[in-house]
Amino acid sequence: MTELVSALGFGLVTAAILSVSAVGFTLQYSVSNVLNLAFVSIMTASGFVAYGLIVAGLNLWLAIALASLVGGCLSALINWGIYTPFIRRGTSTFGMVIVTISTALIGQNLIEAAVGPGFFSFGVATGRAVDVGGLVLTGDQVITMGIALVLMAATYVGLEYTRLGRAMRALSVNPALARACGVDTGRVVALAWFASGVLAGAGGALLFLDTATFSVTTGSYFLIVIIAAAVFGGVGSARGAFLGALILGVATEVAGAYWIPELKDVVAFAVLVAVLLVRPRGLFSEIATLRQAVG
Amino acid sequence: MNSAVQLYATTLLVYLAVNLIASWALDIQFGVTGVLNFGFILFQSAGAYTAALLSLGPARASGGFQQYIGGWQLPFPLPIVGAILVGAALGWLVGWVGLRRLRGDFQAVVLLVVSVVATLVVESVPGFLNGDAGLSLIPKPLSGVAGLTGVTYAWAYVGLCFLSCGLVAILVARLVHSPYGRVLRAVRENDALADAMGRSSTRARLQVFVLGGALAALSGALLVEFTTAWAPSGWLYPETFVYFTIVIIGGRASLPGVAVGAALIAVGIQQAVQLLPIGADATVLASLQWVVIGLLTLAFLWWRPQGLIPERVRRFGAPSPSTPLAAEKLSEGAGS
Repeated sequence: MTELVSALGFGLVTAAILSVSAVGFTLQYSVSNVLNLAFVSIMTASGFVAYGLIVAGLNLWLAIALASLVGGCLSALINWGIYTPFIRRGTSTFGMVIVTISTALIGQNLIEAAVGPGFFSFGVATGRAVDVGGLVLTGDQVITMGIALVLMAATYVGLEYTRLGRAMRALSVNPALARACGVDTGRVVALAWFASGVLAGAGGALLFLDTATFSVTTGSYFLIVIIAAAVFGGVGSARGAFLGALILGVATEVAGAYWIPELKDVVAFAVLVAVLLVRPRGLFSEIATLRQAVG
Repeated sequence: MNSAVQLYATTLLVYLAVNLIASWALDIQFGVTGVLNFGFILFQSAGAYTAALLSLGPARASGGFQQYIGGWQLPFPLPIVGAILVGAALGWLVGWVGLRRLRGDFQAVVLLVVSVVATLVVESVPGFLNGDAGLSLIPKPLSGVAGLTGVTYAWAYVGLCFLSCGLVAILVARLVHSPYGRVLRAVRENDALADAMGRSSTRARLQVFVLGGALAALSGALLVEFTTAWAPSGWLYPETFVYFTIVIIGGRASLPGVAVGAALIAVGIQQAVQLLPIGADATVLASLQWVVIGLLTLAFLWWRPQGLIPERVRRFGAPSPSTPLAAEKLSEGAGS
């Protein structure tokens, strides 16, 4: 029983990190219609920024905030410098995947050239342990869940109740109509890239904080669960991605506690395959229609 | 030539032949049919592991040196034939699940995830394919037979590789220029139209998955029987993009173009890095090599999307300005 409780606790922490990342990935995908494989590179870069800042003695909160900002800027920069020019040329969604994977490859290896292929660690978890009814969490884990909760609430409010959020949702459903209604698509898409980058940055920093030893390739394994969560909830639906992240985060940790821990991500993959076989549009599918990329 | 130079030359030639086969295999999927198989390297790897398991013999015989499931010692052509069959079966399985009703770009990422998961499984389950360390001491086929040793054997193996390569070239060329090849290109250009004409695009995609999987597995089998070792670090998911870069630089759906691309990238760039001044950090060099490959792909997509030797499109009847090319599809294509 205690094993299950502690697995649930770890599951909630994983779900928190995963929800930030999966929602960021899905938000940008649904607004810009570009499947950005460099998302993981942005997570990795921001994670290392946070690591560097914390090792240099900076406050944990400030380090995570700065890392998120770096993620947002990187994301906006990649979109402005690489993706938008290709989309303006009329590159199809099919071609854009190759553009984004090339960008991911370049980014990933520039980071590796900078930090090396070795493993890094934050050392012993800081802060007091917190005991909630048998559920023992470290201070870092509580912080992680708190940050994720705040970010998810902010994303929800932003998407549902602000003008910009409404424009983003309009753009994700029908870009031509949104443009005809006077939505400044270029600006909204750029902001969506920035917001998605902030979530990627926070996700990367939290992922590294939560992982005992991490390296440049940690993010690429996390891609398994991000994609599984995104497909699980229905491609392009931020709410679906959030629910998918919650379920998969807990499911992978619980399965990992009872099975080979290294293979917990494979559980997410098994769920992904099952969803593809049973309900290829995802459990909470909204869109995933075929449409042009917007630039 | 002294024997060291000859060994170097034979190694390069084997790599060239293997990469030609693999690049054409990907070209059938990506260039001709327009399927983005981001898990391509998995099929080459499946072929390599199969060939290794079918020639290593039982794991007990190694005295606990390496652990793996199964293990048979079959005579020469059988490990390679087995690899081809496993590649085809895996292609069918992965295609059947992965090519479901997902948008093309999401399909590609799911296949990428398949590749990452496969690495994870092989690395984390040591009893399966000897984990991280991989399989080694794989016996070379026909060594000692007919008195072939050392350099002579290497040259004979080069011959075998180029023989296979030639057969694959004939097969692929005939396929691409056949009526069936036109079906595949129709699927690439406009899958809804192909469906409407009674040619199931889903079935065509699944078929090229099986064929591409079989050919990729053949390339892996030929490679592993020469290098005698195979480990997860050699087939991480980025390796797939070496082949994508080859096809994009050479020219999609252009067999000679892809051959040029394979020679330039797989042999040229790899060797150029070896010739760089010693003293530079090896891991940094490896990273920079990937950066170059990524930049080359972007540069070609921007400046020359049709590749070095573009696909020759046969036009029937009056030439129409609207006849689309594969390259135009990527750079200016309809959004599907």
